[in-house]
Amino acid sequence: MSLLRRAKTWEISDSEGSDAETKPDLNPEVATETKEDQSSGDQNRSVLPAAAGRQSAPSLSPPRPQGSGTPSPTRKRRTKEEIEADRQKAKERKEERERQRAARVQEKEERREAAERLKSLRPENCLKCLTVRLDPALLQQDGSDILLDTLAAFEWRFSIESQQLSHSITWTRDLPQQGEDVSVEEEQVVLVLGLADFMDMVISVKRMLDSEGEETERGSFLSPLLECLNRDAQKVVTLLVIESNYSINACGEHPRDEMLQSKLGMKNVDIEEVLVYLQLCKNISLVFLDGWQDVTDHVCAVTKALSKRPFKLLTERAELPFCVDGSWASGVRVERDGSGLVEVWSKQIQQLNRVSPAVASAVTASYPSPQLLLQAYQSLASEEERKGLLAGLLVKSGGKERRIGPEISARVYRCVTAQNPQLVLD
Amino acid sequence: MPASEPVRLGRKRVLPACPNPLFLRWLTELRDEAREKGLKTQYTYQKALSSLNKYPLPLRNAKEAKILQNFGDGICKILDEKLQRYHQENGADAQIQSVSSAAPPAGRADNNSVAPSRKKNSAGDGGKDRAPDGKKKRREYVPQKRSGGHAVLLTLYRQSQIPDSKGFMFKLELQAEAQPLCDKSFTVPDLGSKYTAWTSVSTLIQKNLLIKTHNPARYSLTEEGLALAERLAAAERQTTEEEEEEEEGPGVVDLTGSDDGEGEEDRTHPTGSAAGQQSSDTDASCSSEKPQSSQTTSRHQGGGCLLPGTYEIILCVDFIETTGGSNHRKQELVKELQRNRVNFDIRKLNVGDFLWVAREKVTPVPGQLRVPAGRELVLDYIIERKRMDDLCGSIIDGRFREQKFRLKRCGLHRPVYLVEEHGTAASHLSLPEATLQQAIVNTQVVDGFFVKRVQDVRESAAYLTIMTRYLNKVYQNRTLSCRSRELEGDVCGAEEERGVPSCSLISFAEFNHGAVKNKCQTVREVFARQLMQISGLSGDKAAAILEHYSTPHSLMAAYERCASEAEKEKLLASVRYGKLKRNVGPALSRTVYQLYCTQGPLS
Repeated sequence: MSLLRRAKTWEISDSEGSDAETKPDLNPEVATETKEDQSSGDQNRSVLPAAAGRQSAPSLSPPRPQGSGTPSPTRKRRTKEEIEADRQKAKERKEERERQRAARVQEKEERREAAERLKSLRPENCLKCLTVRLDPALLQQDGSDILLDTLAAFEWRFSIESQQLSHSITWTRDLPQQGEDVSVEEEQVVLVLGLADFMDMVISVKRMLDSEGEETERGSFLSPLLECLNRDAQKVVTLLVIESNYSINACGEHPRDEMLQSKLGMKNVDIEEVLVYLQLCKNISLVFLDGWQDVTDHVCAVTKALSKRPFKLLTERAELPFCVDGSWASGVRVERDGSGLVEVWSKQIQQLNRVSPAVASAVTASYPSPQLLLQAYQSLASEEERKGLLAGLLVKSGGKERRIGPEISARVYRCVTAQNPQLVLD
Repeated sequence: MPASEPVRLGRKRVLPACPNPLFLRWLTELRDEAREKGLKTQYTYQKALSSLNKYPLPLRNAKEAKILQNFGDGICKILDEKLQRYHQENGADAQIQSVSSAAPPAGRADNNSVAPSRKKNSAGDGGKDRAPDGKKKRREYVPQKRSGGHAVLLTLYRQSQIPDSKGFMFKLELQAEAQPLCDKSFTVPDLGSKYTAWTSVSTLIQKNLLIKTHNPARYSLTEEGLALAERLAAAERQTTEEEEEEEEGPGVVDLTGSDDGEGEEDRTHPTGSAAGQQSSDTDASCSSEKPQSSQTTSRHQGGGCLLPGTYEIILCVDFIETTGGSNHRKQELVKELQRNRVNFDIRKLNVGDFLWVAREKVTPVPGQLRVPAGRELVLDYIIERKRMDDLCGSIIDGRFREQKFRLKRCGLHRPVYLVEEHGTAASHLSLPEATLQQAIVNTQVVDGFFVKRVQDVRESAAYLTIMTRYLNKVYQNRTLSCRSRELEGDVCGAEEERGVPSCSLISFAEFNHGAVKNKCQTVREVFARQLMQISGLSGDKAAAILEHYSTPHSLMAAYERCASEAEKEKLLASVRYGKLKRNVGPALSRTVYQLYCTQGPLS
């Protein structure tokens, strides 16, 4: 198709009135002829082809099944071959147009779908697909109302149902693209514990570690947690430990410490050991919080993060080997008349490693556009000279003058002229 | 042939000839090196360079240079050391001034094509020192046998001769293969020197014999390099044979017996045709000598395993975490770690603040002062420490994202964000606390990092201490193997089971080298960054333009192919970008056109 198209490009684009990019036709005669062809192709198809006749056409032109079907010889100025050729062209043009139209429609459709898909990944839309699932045991705790109230105020979807893990919060996400009622469980799990429960867990883990894997009493929170992780090792559990019931005592000592000391003489080191074990072996992290307000804030933050994640992951899959965010990437504003471009040019040179603004402005002062630099390179005979073109330029910085030097000079040269995109400049 | 390249004695030809090219070259190297590292000494070297440039007479040694302005004891000493080494390598009577009496006529014919715009030194030449100035000095560069350059060329040549070879080599691969062919180590500098045999690679690149592309870097021969390497290989075969004939002994091929440089170079010149025919039997001799020497080097190159008990786990602390800053909080961490008797090491980490290496235990070799360097493999954990105020600052200036971006790509699969919350201190920062908390949660949920919250630096130290102890325990009975990111790519760590530490690790050298910020820019990358300097030209637009035109050169060429200015203006307008395949559009296309096609100065 592309071959055929290339052979006939000008005709096609001429007859394609909608194609704004084509230049006005320089040859009126050709233009009228094409117009005529077009109309003949469209309307008088059944009459005109008749001229093709039976006699010579089959032998001269490639066999056309429809073409030979209407034998009514009419006199015409043009020869049969010409008519046959015109007819052929008109037909091809028409087919071509239809193909293009179909392609356009299809492309539009595809782009619309892509846009739709992207739109559904937007955080605000993702948020609508998320459901926060709360274990009923949580709601029996004092102060937990605030969580429900907040979720309701945000108009986020939530459900209260028994979770695999008692006292936990999980999330599910609907996948509307894949049909009704299709949803996935997110990997984040939040487990809300009181300090006492947490201490029990620490002690159980400690015992488990000390006994080197022997079966021990695991306590009411640890064993369901480990079971849950055994079922699905991808789960990421965060322990939210509420220590609100204890206020920091007079000597500023943390209630945790006090409690530890009272229990079996456990020290801070022991608790840290347990936490490191939970981190490295179970990927469990820990947050100490003051109360249900903090728990609510955390749950909201996780929900928001989950809603942002699909879009971020999509946009993050960068084609470029560097982080495209950052102050360097903000760009220089360029007006329509091109003012501002000289700053762009200077910042462009600064994109090379270890090129300071002072060095860049020394280059742009001598060569105030890429073209001028290129021309200077072209005027030099040897590679050596071109590499060294900028080496002698003086850089003024901090009251001192120094030269740009051969290294930077050569790098700028190679960057501007290299044909291998993967060439390493340093 | 590298027609335009100067001899080793020469210097880059931007200045009129200086009568002391060697000193000039060394000083330039020293300065450039200092500059690359951002050291202040670059200015000292620069000053010395300018005085040397002004001095019209040849100097016989570095002491004589002391009379020059800006030449102190330090510089003279360095130059003297270099000079000594130079004499060792080139014979005691080698000239150091602008002399090229030894320049062979061989290079001449090739060098005609370049007409350097240097004035013929008509005044006061007469002397044999000056006469051969222009052309003769352009003697072809031939690296010495068993030098780094020689070994690298030969190795790449051999690799290129293997059918279906990939046509390039990665750094580690090249070093490992080339090491048996070289006397000097590619990785460990000689005592009192910063240079390894690898240093010569930059010379090869400069001489246009070698080309370095991609990131991670790939090395391959240029056409010139290939031609030279071919001759080196042919010469190598010959010498190997000669020596075999001489010795006839119990098959010990000792290639280290290199004597004077003069003879060496002569041997490297014979044409390849004769030698090429002998390749079949010489190949055999090459391979017979290879295994024994590669065995010894593989220990250093990271092949093989670290068996349980032969290594220890050490915490590495980035030096930024220990120095700088007027406050003592950074010292506090180190003190705390010392107090806890943590086995730690302070070094420059190119990404992250803390990590752990498994370091091979090495014992001193009798008769050697220096303990051989033990291998080091990096464990999969890397920690970025952030105080709340740091976090706030880094979110504002964009480092936060950039750091996470780099952490994700550093090759270690278990990044940890260590947040020091400092109680209620967060409430006085320039971002609301909710924003900071959201950023921390995002780091866990979106980026998949482990988030560890502590109160202060003491707790950080306690955490690092326990982590180090725990890792020591976990790795007690593990056999570690070294894998290379360059050669094998990144394996995703997902398949490894929880609690079972990963035992296939990358070497610390490869890790840290790969994490260098702003290293190894390719033309494509710079071009992308350059395009993004135009406001409105986002990363995805730049990437789309790069799909069509991946270098400034190719974009310029496309503009030149356009029939009219109007066409140029619209060149990029219909380039599709991003997930939605939108057009870049006429306005932006016009701006790029204005930037690259304006013949006069830009405004």
